[in-house]
Amino acid sequence: MSETLDLREQAIRKWGSDNRAIRKGKWIGKPARRLEDPRYLTGAARYVADLELPRMLHAVYVRSPHPHARIVSIDKSVLPGLGKTVFAFTGEDLRDVPPLIDHVALDNLLRTPQPVIAIGKVRFVGDAVAIVLAADRYAAEDAAELLSSVVEYEELPPVPNVAASGASDAALLFEELGTNEIYREAITHGEVDEAFAKADRVFSTPFEHNRYMAAPMETRGVLADYDRADQQLTVWSSTQMPHFLRSVIAGQLGLPENKVRVIAPEVGGGFGMKMCTVPEEIAIPFIATQLGRPVKWIEDRHEHLIAATHSKQQSINLEVAVTNDGKILGVRGEFVGDGGGYSFNTESALIEPALAAKALPGPYRIENYREEVGAFLTNKSPVAAYRGVGWTAANTARELLFDEAARGLGIDPAEFRRRNMLRSDELPYLSCTGQVYDSGSYLESLDKALEAVDYQAFRQRQEELRQQGRYIGLGISSYVEQTAWGSESSAQAGTPLPSHDNATVTVDPSGKVTVAVSVSSHGQGHETSLAQIAADGLGVDIKDVVLLHGDTSNTPYGLGTYASRSAVIGGATVARAAADVREQILQVAGKMLEASPEDLVIEDGKVSVAGTPSRFKTLADVAYAAHWDSEVRNSEPLLSATRFYDPPANYANGCVVALCEVDADTGVVTLDRIVAVEDCGMVINPMIVEAQVHGAIVQGLGGAMLEHLIYSDEGQPLTTTYMDYLVPTFSDVPPIEVISIETPSPFTVGGIKGMGEGGQIAAPAALANAVADALAPFGARIEKLPITPDYVLRLMGKIG
Amino acid sequence: MAMSSKQIVELNVNGIPHQLLVEPRKTLADVLRDDLGLTGTKLGCEHGVCGACTVLVDGRAIRACLMFAVQAQGPEITTVEGLASDGELDHIQKAFAENHGLQCGYCTPGMLMTAHAFLAENPEPTREQICEGMNGNLCRCTGYQNIIKSTAAAAKAAK
Repeated sequence: MSETLDLREQAIRKWGSDNRAIRKGKWIGKPARRLEDPRYLTGAARYVADLELPRMLHAVYVRSPHPHARIVSIDKSVLPGLGKTVFAFTGEDLRDVPPLIDHVALDNLLRTPQPVIAIGKVRFVGDAVAIVLAADRYAAEDAAELLSSVVEYEELPPVPNVAASGASDAALLFEELGTNEIYREAITHGEVDEAFAKADRVFSTPFEHNRYMAAPMETRGVLADYDRADQQLTVWSSTQMPHFLRSVIAGQLGLPENKVRVIAPEVGGGFGMKMCTVPEEIAIPFIATQLGRPVKWIEDRHEHLIAATHSKQQSINLEVAVTNDGKILGVRGEFVGDGGGYSFNTESALIEPALAAKALPGPYRIENYREEVGAFLTNKSPVAAYRGVGWTAANTARELLFDEAARGLGIDPAEFRRRNMLRSDELPYLSCTGQVYDSGSYLESLDKALEAVDYQAFRQRQEELRQQGRYIGLGISSYVEQTAWGSESSAQAGTPLPSHDNATVTVDPSGKVTVAVSVSSHGQGHETSLAQIAADGLGVDIKDVVLLHGDTSNTPYGLGTYASRSAVIGGATVARAAADVREQILQVAGKMLEASPEDLVIEDGKVSVAGTPSRFKTLADVAYAAHWDSEVRNSEPLLSATRFYDPPANYANGCVVALCEVDADTGVVTLDRIVAVEDCGMVINPMIVEAQVHGAIVQGLGGAMLEHLIYSDEGQPLTTTYMDYLVPTFSDVPPIEVISIETPSPFTVGGIKGMGEGGQIAAPAALANAVADALAPFGARIEKLPITPDYVLRLMGKIG
Repeated sequence: MAMSSKQIVELNVNGIPHQLLVEPRKTLADVLRDDLGLTGTKLGCEHGVCGACTVLVDGRAIRACLMFAVQAQGPEITTVEGLASDGELDHIQKAFAENHGLQCGYCTPGMLMTAHAFLAENPEPTREQICEGMNGNLCRCTGYQNIIKSTAAAAKAAK
């Protein structure tokens, strides 16, 4: 208990007990309709592919058909009109552009520099070999096909998976490293060996987490234009991190950063995939500067499935030591990442296994834990971020194992969780891996979810149906979701990165509000939710607020949107800047109304004397006077403020429960119902929160039941269209009920916690546990995803 | 190259006749987007699975990435730009706005066009019928929940 108090006091000392207030009025907490919708509904919204510039060239990539090969020659001279109507660039032509390297601050991580177009060697099917350009996309495709047919390769032995990668005679992806294993490290927290020695029982499970990907509806795309008059490079990219991309492009191309502008126009979904800097985002701008013409590259879906970053794949071996009455004494886990051809520049090949290892304890009291993390290179597309990075795999392996342990001990799986779950009064809690859980409702979420599905009645019905040869199952998955990615969150996650974000709030002379933020929206509805915060801060209607995001030329510097950070960081920066502007307004209004600023209120766009609503000025009148009336204006008259926020870490939580029925003859799993309890602290817009949960759960459902990027033993990708790579459709998805609990964070501005990933983190385990529960009479144990009908039949012993 | 010889194509899009010179191999989707500037029609896969490029051809939902422009001469083509009139959203667009039926917006034009064709044939659909009828359109953001709700609400509003 004293440690709990210490944590709270330490945090308050560090982050300040004041300055966390947020002004709540008519908007925060309301399901406000989205302000951005009309342009999407009318087809007016413009994504990168919709942009066109005069003299624009279309770029098409020539990509490697081999998983592992040396490039012997590329004879560009076969291209008719080369240098006149058709242009081509190879890795050799971009030798001056430095390779992309990850920036994780770990000394014992081996580095794999990635040229933005391959030089000398290709390391996966889809690796970039050349870029061909023409004025028309069809012509560029023709030329790329022709060039593709004359590239000469010397094939090397493929390294299709971790087992092959670690073999003593394996071909090396980077010969200079002398190994394909680029990282291995073990850390022990607490007294693990003693815990296992004392245990009544030890349960273990090997778990293969499948390779799947974000696959947003809009693929990647880049348009670059170099203006020679101003020596200004403008890059439109489907990115989640426009400012960071500007910094990287400036560095890679050796341009002054104030001569680079990055615009994320409408972005058709990102889900983490579009946070990293991809080689195309460097190569295309470079070519635009060389040719002096605008260059547009729009990835097609086939290209996306083989060459955009993949995610999630890792092998986890987990063991839990328990007492007969179900108390967890200790856990051992080995997490091995299959990083693909390059340890990618976002967070390296550790992005999956390292984050999984740190997040493994979840909402449970686990004091003795040994984590071992490894990462290998293989001849596959590199692994990078996708919603719930590492945490999905960790949650799935842990929750599967806990169900296994509960079954083995003869304890109800909900009861097993209850016995080991942290109570609300134990928070803040320092997990053994160094994560400070600020607040939450772990047990309450579990109970609410079970209550919603009438758990006891389900168990009874399950028993009855089993007698009839029908197999229904219920799966539970509890989670904590680390959010608010700033400096502290990333450090607690195990991959420390500095953080920086700002918002500028401005009231113009007409009294209208412009908010410019460093976070960047790609479907999350920031133009509404952040407007709700500004509107309450300034006492105006959300319709009077315009939100600017995604353009480095009119928004303050910051890291954009990923890792459930934007509600916390965007929300706080806007709230703080709005509070400052409110003070400026009240100063001016005080002079106009001959009242003390402290006695004034702003509501519905009017500034009035508290208690005397008839004594008022409209915000428009005040704003006009603030700019033009030298009698009343402030010494710095602009009604504008820019505020910064680098938040303390905080943790959302929840529980997902899934109900299914397994057809014992066909192995087909029918999902009947999903209930999700989500606790993300103070909710800004419940409509948006609910929809984020829906979307995340269905992406998790995809990973658990359908999605699998399959490579042959020869390293060839076999899932290269949407006919082979199955994302969930309407009829794959059962009704999803979302139940909200609000436990405000004691650490952040307004008590806001991030959210958006919980569904993807928790849903796969809920679904897998539901299937395992249905198949308990067969002694089934799920050791891999996705759960396809043939795997189900195998689990039932019906096929070999 | 023979493939690049262009020919005259007459298209009737959102009530406006157009005469265009295009390659026979050019898809309807590319002609709508590149030649007519109607970029509301989206390309999500270009192999006929995702449905983002759905347009109405004489009221039927058609994947514009699987049809050549030369095949689309004669019928009335409707794209997402043809739904609202005089700045007023139609009842399906409104239902999507009121029920948070979209997030990033990329699949939305295709969803709206499919919903039009579907509701014309099934004015009072059940949840199962909506899922079946709209099953050829992929969305990655919403988990479909609010699209189902929006489509049901649109059916109600039309009554």
